[in-house]
Amino acid sequence: MKKKVLALVCSAVMLFGLTACGKEAETVTDTTAPAQESKPAIDISAAKLMSDGVLNVGCEVGYPPFEDFAEDGTTPKGYDVDIITAVADKLGLKVNIINTAWDGIFAGIGVNYDVVCSAVTITPERMETMIFSTPYINNYQAVVLLADDPKEVKSFNDLDGMSIALQKETTSDILMSDYKSTGTIDIQIVANEKVTSCFTQLQNGEVDAVVVDSTVADGYINSSKDFKIVYEDQSEPEQFGIAMAPENTALQAAVNQALKELEEEGFIKETYDYWFGAAAE
Amino acid sequence: MKKSEMKKHSGQIITAIVIIVICIILGLLKPGRETLLSMTSPEMQKMIDADASSTRKRVTVTYNSLFIINYASLSTSGANVMSERYVGFLGKVYQADEGVMKVVGQMVNYTYRMLGVGENLMHGAKLTITLTTLTVLFGVLLGTLLALGKISKKKILSKLSGAYIFFFRGTPLLIQIFVVYFTVPGIFGFAWRDLFNVNDAEAVYKGAFIAALIAFALNSGAYCAEIVRSAIQSIDKGQFEAAKALGMSYGQTMTRIIIPQSIRRMIPNVSNEFIMVLKDASLVFAISLMDITTVSKNIMTSEGSYLVFIPALVIYLVITAFFGFIFDKIEKKFSVYE
Repeated sequence: MKKKVLALVCSAVMLFGLTACGKEAETVTDTTAPAQESKPAIDISAAKLMSDGVLNVGCEVGYPPFEDFAEDGTTPKGYDVDIITAVADKLGLKVNIINTAWDGIFAGIGVNYDVVCSAVTITPERMETMIFSTPYINNYQAVVLLADDPKEVKSFNDLDGMSIALQKETTSDILMSDYKSTGTIDIQIVANEKVTSCFTQLQNGEVDAVVVDSTVADGYINSSKDFKIVYEDQSEPEQFGIAMAPENTALQAAVNQALKELEEEGFIKETYDYWFGAAAE
Repeated sequence: MKKSEMKKHSGQIITAIVIIVICIILGLLKPGRETLLSMTSPEMQKMIDADASSTRKRVTVTYNSLFIINYASLSTSGANVMSERYVGFLGKVYQADEGVMKVVGQMVNYTYRMLGVGENLMHGAKLTITLTTLTVLFGVLLGTLLALGKISKKKILSKLSGAYIFFFRGTPLLIQIFVVYFTVPGIFGFAWRDLFNVNDAEAVYKGAFIAALIAFALNSGAYCAEIVRSAIQSIDKGQFEAAKALGMSYGQTMTRIIIPQSIRRMIPNVSNEFIMVLKDASLVFAISLMDITTVSKNIMTSEGSYLVFIPALVIYLVITAFFGFIFDKIEKKFSVYE
């Protein structure tokens, strides 16, 4: 009897494994199909790529709606994924998304992948060690509260005395840490590895507010009625770009050309509306 | 034999006293906070004065005092980044913007941050030590109960203890932490920080700490149960029989004869478990707490300094050395029973 059960379990596991493989293969063909029918690709012969015909992309998958795994748990989806796939199509390349931890993600450029497309803010410090494509989205810092919270937040100074959840080592973290260390406001910073943990903490009532990229906040508000955005800091806008190794200027030029074409075709606007909602901006 | 041992002992004590005296003298001779901050350049002073009336302040003033040496830095945020760093040692103030003094300043600052001085109890080395000590304490207590349950002749008790140990040893600690912190309150509709006063600003960290301690103690209990069980079962069966012959009950035999002897045998393994928990304590990063490893990793990613791991290693070694010494003493104390 026991043996029979074991065999059943074994075959179930094998079946599961087979279906998982099947799905992966499916997605690969999905992404390549449009590449073949597209018109003459942008010339990328001068650009350095890790492998022929493939654009390896470093991405911290777990930052919806920019990047997140679909229900099957293996297919990345999101705004960044759509943009980078379209860019690669323009360059006549296949996309290979490599899921990486945010810590040390930039150290892998030119080692594990060609570019990083993972909601990366263009900052002067980062531009010292890497180059960026032209920005493909604008972003602000936003304050999110529970939908039934009566508190009024008209500026970051109104956060005084609250416990704030945010994602570690992001612009939100840098900004809020600066507000705290300069003595502007007194807050408790609750730093998490993943932005999803911040929203779980808010929902469970562990923290009072979440400070996060406005784009991410838009995505959450769209998909859940539990949260609301109470403040967006329009004074310090940020721009997201695709990060590349500093010597890879040829790739930068090609990516910029692709982004420009996508902008003209209205693809970027369309994708933005799809992921963040047309009313968001 | 005895004499030479005493000589060795007094030698150690004298060295310790000399080191402490030197440290106290160095500590008294280091310049004060005002002296360090009086070095501030006029431009920076102007920024500080402007901040006084501003609702969005720009200057961060850091002051770290570390026993014999101190460090101060002023830095601004925004497009024009300015920063000034000073190290105070032996009555003198050094510029620490580059060269050797910069490294010295960084070391003081990193060590200060990792020790969690001036921060709440749930931060840095203080968190690591508190969490580890309490975990092992509760773990051994829970483990003893579970071990007695497992070797008990009552079938249900034995099966229940066995199931508990199987569950907590068979699942990863990280997931247990997630479940205690996120899943349990999510299902039952409470928040860990509600255990504390609403006006307590640190309630969120304290709540997370309680959740972490529960997860760690439940997990450690399962491991300690096996340590205690093997120690008890290693005591010769003849002792049980002798105690029975003397008319002792099961409880008496356990508390008076078996457990006192088995303590000595379980100390080395408990010490091992202690060191394991000490390092596993870094898993609290998952629920927004920062132990030594998390702080050092944070400094690494935000400042890109690989030097930060050196003070981290030193702090860990000092902690393990201290507790190793204590476990040694306990083991010696209990060896009189054998």
